[in-house]
Amino acid sequence: MSDSFAVMIVVATIASGIRLATPFLLASLGEALGQRSGVLNLGVDGVMLLGAFGAYYTVLQTSNPYYGLLVGISIGLLIGLFYGFITLNLRAEQGVSGIGIYLFGLGMSDLFFQKFVGTPRPILPFMPLDIPVLSGLPVVGEMLFQHSIIVYIAFGLVPLMSFVLHRTTYGLNIRAIGENPEAADSLGVSVMATRYSAIIIGNGLAGLAGAALAIELGIFQQNLTNAMGFIAIALVYFGAWSPKGVMIGSLVFGMVQSIVLQCKTFGVIPRSASDLAAMAPAVITILALVIVAKRFKQPSALTKPYVRGG
Amino acid sequence: MKKFSLSLSAVMLTLLLLCPSLLPASGKPLRVAIIAPSAQNDLAFTQSIVDGIKAIQKDREIDLAITDGTFVVEDAAAAIRDYAKKGYDLVIAHGSQYGGSLKEIAPDFPDIAFAWGTAADTFGLPNVSSYEAASDEGGYVMGVMAAAMSKKGGVGVVGPIEVGDAKLYVDGFVQGAKAQNSKIRAKVNYIGSFSDVALAAEAARAHIAAGADVLTGTAQMVVGAIGAARSKRVAWFGTQANQTELAPEIVVASQVYKWEVILKQILADMDNGVKGGKMYDINLANNGIVIKFNDAYKLAPGVKEAGMKAIAGIKDGSIKTGHK
Amino acid sequence: MSLQSENGTPMLQMRGITKRFPGVLASDNVDFDVRAGEVHTLLGENGAGKSTLMKILYGLYRQDEGEILLHGKRVDLTSPAHAIAHGIGMIHQHFMLVPTLTVAENVSLGLQSTRGIFSDLKTVSKRIIELSRAFGLHVHPDEHVWQLSVGERQRVEIIKALYRDASILILDEPTAVLTPSEVDDIFLIFRKLADDGRGLVFISHKLKEVLDLSDRITVLRHGRVTGYTTPAQSDRHDLAQLMVGRAVKLAPDKEDVESGDPLLTIEDLYVEGDRGRQAVQGLSLEVKSGEILGIAGISGNGQRELAEAIAGLRRPRSGKIVVAGHDTTLSGPRQIREMGLSYVPEERMKDGAVGEFDVKENMILLNHSKTPFCKNGFLNFKAIKSYSEKLVKEYAVKTPDIDTMTKNLSGGNIQKLIMARELAAKPKVLLASQPTRGVDIGAAEYIHERISQERQRGTATVVISEDLDEVMALSDRIAVMFDGKVMGIVDQKDATRESIGLMMTGEQQQSAA
Repeated sequence: MSDSFAVMIVVATIASGIRLATPFLLASLGEALGQRSGVLNLGVDGVMLLGAFGAYYTVLQTSNPYYGLLVGISIGLLIGLFYGFITLNLRAEQGVSGIGIYLFGLGMSDLFFQKFVGTPRPILPFMPLDIPVLSGLPVVGEMLFQHSIIVYIAFGLVPLMSFVLHRTTYGLNIRAIGENPEAADSLGVSVMATRYSAIIIGNGLAGLAGAALAIELGIFQQNLTNAMGFIAIALVYFGAWSPKGVMIGSLVFGMVQSIVLQCKTFGVIPRSASDLAAMAPAVITILALVIVAKRFKQPSALTKPYVRGG
Repeated sequence: MKKFSLSLSAVMLTLLLLCPSLLPASGKPLRVAIIAPSAQNDLAFTQSIVDGIKAIQKDREIDLAITDGTFVVEDAAAAIRDYAKKGYDLVIAHGSQYGGSLKEIAPDFPDIAFAWGTAADTFGLPNVSSYEAASDEGGYVMGVMAAAMSKKGGVGVVGPIEVGDAKLYVDGFVQGAKAQNSKIRAKVNYIGSFSDVALAAEAARAHIAAGADVLTGTAQMVVGAIGAARSKRVAWFGTQANQTELAPEIVVASQVYKWEVILKQILADMDNGVKGGKMYDINLANNGIVIKFNDAYKLAPGVKEAGMKAIAGIKDGSIKTGHK
Repeated sequence: MSLQSENGTPMLQMRGITKRFPGVLASDNVDFDVRAGEVHTLLGENGAGKSTLMKILYGLYRQDEGEILLHGKRVDLTSPAHAIAHGIGMIHQHFMLVPTLTVAENVSLGLQSTRGIFSDLKTVSKRIIELSRAFGLHVHPDEHVWQLSVGERQRVEIIKALYRDASILILDEPTAVLTPSEVDDIFLIFRKLADDGRGLVFISHKLKEVLDLSDRITVLRHGRVTGYTTPAQSDRHDLAQLMVGRAVKLAPDKEDVESGDPLLTIEDLYVEGDRGRQAVQGLSLEVKSGEILGIAGISGNGQRELAEAIAGLRRPRSGKIVVAGHDTTLSGPRQIREMGLSYVPEERMKDGAVGEFDVKENMILLNHSKTPFCKNGFLNFKAIKSYSEKLVKEYAVKTPDIDTMTKNLSGGNIQKLIMARELAAKPKVLLASQPTRGVDIGAAEYIHERISQERQRGTATVVISEDLDEVMALSDRIAVMFDGKVMGIVDQKDATRESIGLMMTGEQQQSAA
């Protein structure tokens, strides 16, 4: 194997890991935002599925992937509004409500697909958007700067969300409300409004994650996400609720997937061990979770509905 | 039926056992149920069996019930039992992962005929038949053509888990490719999942990066791989259904299953009072397997001919593939 | 904003405030006012309606009737934000702080930033330092709240209110968690804030502190005002009478009792806390028959672990515990009880009684498997009933009947129930942890009386309490715990609040006891 070929394979593996990490990153950023405000949403995967179908169907009709993204986000925002209503106004138990959202999304996305599409038809995926100058760089260019726009959006959201959480009053409100909503309320910060906004934006990101997946793959089918949303929730714990941590978690997960895939392609992993190797990303994530997450504390008010004077 | 208590169901079951005359007499429409893991219009595994029954419906009145999308085995098991309780004449569990459930359920309903596939095991039960496709034969033909058309000397396969129909097809494909060109680099990647579309897409990209210019793959998650192949303009061979629609610009040919061939045999055996215990298979020779070419795809001269030669060789027995 | 009001008009007037909750009249036609420069105390027992009144003022509740006037103008306070905007600040009993945030972040929460949507911690930090200097608060803006001591956290709360230009400050039981010296410090700060022209509302049930700090006192009972007075006009007994509605003995009568043989001996005891920390470090004590040993100290200095080790609920790492002549260091709780120990735990609803059980079931919790309550494995309800009824009567437990669910009783009555059960065992050693915390004065008086009677009977008693007044009133000797060690043991007659307060902060006793 020549050196240049080896470099090419490494580049392809890393680029693949980044692509695989992207939907996880979007979904877990959204989940992290919700959890920082004290609301757990186990329905991420269902929101992703509905966002994915909405985006897929939109692109199928309009042939414009950007409309697809918008529809995916909008579906997420709407579900966020609904989820806010049941968990904040009705104060439903968050774990069960989230599973309800998941099952709803899983079933409805398939039903809509059967009803409106039927036989899978491909849609036009995003074309890679080469970043001028940077994409021309040797090695790094292909690795980092020849992705579709959604990859840049996802990774661009990481510093943006860090900034919002730590440098804006809105971020301060979210951090306070996830830890001690009474304190925030006593100073006139609206717990309800802040949590609503965090849930709505968080679900919007989950919808975007689903849309990104469907458009990137150019197809929809039943259970397209394959439980990605649940992995995304695990990655929030892995990343200790920080955007950067969540990004590292998503990248680790994506990279392990792509490395295992590459090793299988070249027969480094014998075919007999192939199924074991397929578990590697999950196993590594769980191990990291056990080691890393033990040292961090989850938002104190997570899953606890807030009632004034209660 | 679900409203009845368990004991009540047991009583009814005993009644059914004691009085075979209560069973629907022949002449009435045959009641057939299909339980399948993915959507019935998936352009792949599940659609193939549904299309098979529908082909028979043209000649014979069949009351058909379909429960699709049961990728959770427990859900499928519940559906199988439910149809058996409802007294369907033939319950088809279309997925090798359902074998364990069927083995438990079938003995409870000795008067119902069960069929499952793709597999070659009836568990020694008199009311279970199994069916499979000699997908290695179609795989072999595809492999021959893939090797014949590869310019870079590399072909790639995206598989789910190394079992059943997928294994047969993949092994046949590799065998055919090597037979055509002993120097071909034929790489196989079992991604470890039947449903991870994103991973299948990346597996296809990995093959392309590693120097493959013709790809194939099997199971329902390959839609991702087809999408990736399409964006890189790499040729694709399909299986289990005609995949031309998914990517007309890259699909060369598809191996298509005509399950009606063996379903007819099973129904005929049932008419003669045989409820199971037999194994069936579709292959090139019995026209249960056909190769559908995408006419829009411009093939280099000699490729199709090599394929047709392989088909003829398999049919007359001069070429032996892995199966049997 | 001008802090001074026109002459004569109080800064705040609450007139005829009435608030009903389902089944309770929490506030009944209450009048209350605050003038600039004064500390006006709201005194009352738990449930007397102090908190309700202040939550109305802070916009957390709405009154059903009555009106609130600020600087003579009628206002409608609908939310905390609204109250804050009107210059009302509240120092909550349970601190309203976010431990994971810094001091500056906590202070800036809910404030309009000078930089729009972006937070401006620099400006906030600067102002915190200024306020901290002006009032001697010693608060650093960049520290995380979880790093701060309880006293420091309280000063952050004060800064929060000052930062919002609060002219009326509500202080909700601000001394509940402080050491005596911290109390002295904070009172100086409160006085300074009042002198600066603010009006302070001090909520408390601690009589001594109320007399020390207040300019005026309003006493509440069952949602009603039972008296207006001043420290000059009243003493502790007067205030207690207004609170309870009858004359109250604040300290039990103690007869001279000859103390006898040591019944509880602890030698060089080491006990680990929940997080593996050494909670008790080399502690030695001796309690004689007919003696009450009080253990004073801020909670969290190893008292809980010590009590659990004595009761057999927590295994000591090393050292020795002897109860009535038997080495019980490694014994289980049942064995230790059989040696003659009775234990009234700190968390009465968690460790002391089962809320979901009725009164009679809790009464026989210790000996439900013994005759006469149990015969051949079956409960003898007749015996249980007569026994429980006798104890309920003897210990004046106020309950509709012995079949009432225990969790429906008041804190004081649950504590009496536990005392009844524990003392019925005729213990040789009585260990009572925080026996009157959260208990109304009437019940506390009764419990103190009972403990004092045990002393007469010859029991060796240990009373662990955060309430210094309680320890001073009950004990024959007082031990002070700090950081898992005994800082000193003094005779009750030699003890002063000052000397004990010093030891509570870790100062070793000057001369050996």
